[in-house]
Amino acid sequence: MSGLRVAVPKGVIFEDALVALGGAGLPVDVLRENGRRLLYQAEETEFIVSRPSDVPVFVEHGAADVGVVGKDILEEQRPNVIELRDLGMGACRMILAAPRARAEEVQRVISHGEVVRVATKFPNTARRYFASLGGQAEIIELHGSVELAPLVGLSECIVDLTATGTTLHENDLVVLDEISRSTARLIANRGSYRLHHEEVAALLDAIHGSLHG
Amino acid sequence: MQRSTTRKFSTTPGTRDILPPESTRLLDVQAKILEQFRLHGFREVLTPALEYSEVIEEPKLRDVSFKLFDPDNQMLLLRPEMTSPIARLVAQRLGNAPTPHKLSYGLPVYRRAGVGRGQSAEFHQAGVEVVGSTSAGEDAATIALLIETLENVGLRAPPDLVLVLGQTAFYEGYLRKVAPEAAAGLLVALAAKDLVRVDEISAGVVDEAPGVREIPRLVGPATDASLLERAGQYAEGEAAAALENLREILAHLDAGGHLGSVMLDLGLIGRHNYYTGAVYEVYAAGLGFTVANGGRYDNLLRRFGEALPATGFAISLERLLSVLPHEEPAPLLVLVGGTVEATRLAAELRFSGVTVLHLAEDHAPEAAVGYARSVGASWVGYPAPVGLKLAPAEPGSEFEPTPTEKVAGRMLT
Repeated sequence: MSGLRVAVPKGVIFEDALVALGGAGLPVDVLRENGRRLLYQAEETEFIVSRPSDVPVFVEHGAADVGVVGKDILEEQRPNVIELRDLGMGACRMILAAPRARAEEVQRVISHGEVVRVATKFPNTARRYFASLGGQAEIIELHGSVELAPLVGLSECIVDLTATGTTLHENDLVVLDEISRSTARLIANRGSYRLHHEEVAALLDAIHGSLHG
Repeated sequence: MQRSTTRKFSTTPGTRDILPPESTRLLDVQAKILEQFRLHGFREVLTPALEYSEVIEEPKLRDVSFKLFDPDNQMLLLRPEMTSPIARLVAQRLGNAPTPHKLSYGLPVYRRAGVGRGQSAEFHQAGVEVVGSTSAGEDAATIALLIETLENVGLRAPPDLVLVLGQTAFYEGYLRKVAPEAAAGLLVALAAKDLVRVDEISAGVVDEAPGVREIPRLVGPATDASLLERAGQYAEGEAAAALENLREILAHLDAGGHLGSVMLDLGLIGRHNYYTGAVYEVYAAGLGFTVANGGRYDNLLRRFGEALPATGFAISLERLLSVLPHEEPAPLLVLVGGTVEATRLAAELRFSGVTVLHLAEDHAPEAAVGYARSVGASWVGYPAPVGLKLAPAEPGSEFEPTPTEKVAGRMLT
């Protein structure tokens, strides 16, 4: 129905995104066929599959017209895109966590405004969080397995996303604070939102219907 | 022991050297645009690249500005835009002259680039400012000038480009009337284009004031009268005047035959806080960013001591260039020869309208063809007993004797 190019995130959010987009009438089945391709064409719609954190980049530059991405990533990157709809799925929490054995000490260090070392994939989010507390943090940016950092002394605590808390639990990390809650959003490029407004509006209406109908 | 250190001889991140043919295209497009402005009576000004830090008030622009200090230890900014410098110029230099001031510019501006975000730290803007009139006719005239200018350099509207038009005061005025306590939060969310947050906040007030949620969603072609009718339901308080202003602008645009290029978006409130009325952005097919943007800023000049209303726009030239159809430059002839006869011939050819690059040295045909190709010339010539020997600038092509007066005609075929 659409003629749009849609950016779909890989990973845990992938299946949820397909359900939301499929529910809105987009031909998403083609995405389930083959896990290796990056670009799919079905009927009028083109899909690209990328890392979740790259979805806003494709959309901001107009390489994709619309995309599905977590609010956590939008908060971190603050891209210049239009946030159209809360899809209500892919729920997760941005948390501050530390090893159970040292949790109290870390809590005390933070509340006294002493410098604490934080490992995270979300440096901007972490920086803003500590600034809002009046705390000081030395931020170490990692690209994966953030939970490892406090276990081997790279950092004292972590700022990370968690959906179920399983990984935290398995690594004996406890949540000290919840920074924010996040769900997946439908975003659009500013130009596409206007130049293809009918198509984007139709998609928006259909997604709205699928969530509330 | 001598150690080699990396020397910083490249350009800094976000900046670049612009070489032909791109530089030629950029300057040509800029010249065409400024000529178009001149045809509407706009007079060009130049302002310093450095401004006192206080001149730029917009927090977002201050954040992205390059900063430095002058000998008196005052903070300076490399101008991140042209609107504030021109407002300053008008207030300081033209206070006694009759209004409106219609000024134009074509200058580079500077912003700290987002590394890895494909942004430039230095880019060229061409624009106009009309200072000293509140007339909706002036808003419409600048919008019409913008559309005509973009069409004149090669964009076709529509579907190549669309001008998205909003009215900052409409949503603001409505909010101030129906939901004053939620207004600040809603405007911040809308400026960030976060319609999800707008929905969240409006959930608390939407029962009595459906426009809180609906106005940002009023988007569609300006030719669609139903859009303004729906907006009319929310024309309360100051919003009524704002909507009337928008209708008036649209009537002027219609009279000029420009309505087809315009799309209304009542959720568009402008990227800068200084906008107070009509605001607009131009999008082109194939580009995710704005090609141009502008609007009315009636309070900006007050800061500089002259309470004058104003409206204007800026075109981003590099972005415009990236969506323009490619145009072949006029054919260029490389004339080879160090003799006086060659010099005389070059002058004669130029007089007959041929674009000539004279190489005042002797070169073998192969080398001359190689040189011609490197400078984008399509023909190579040598002086001959009658006129010149002429050949296309391709390896192995045959030279044909051509009388001087026939050269221009042959080069055009």
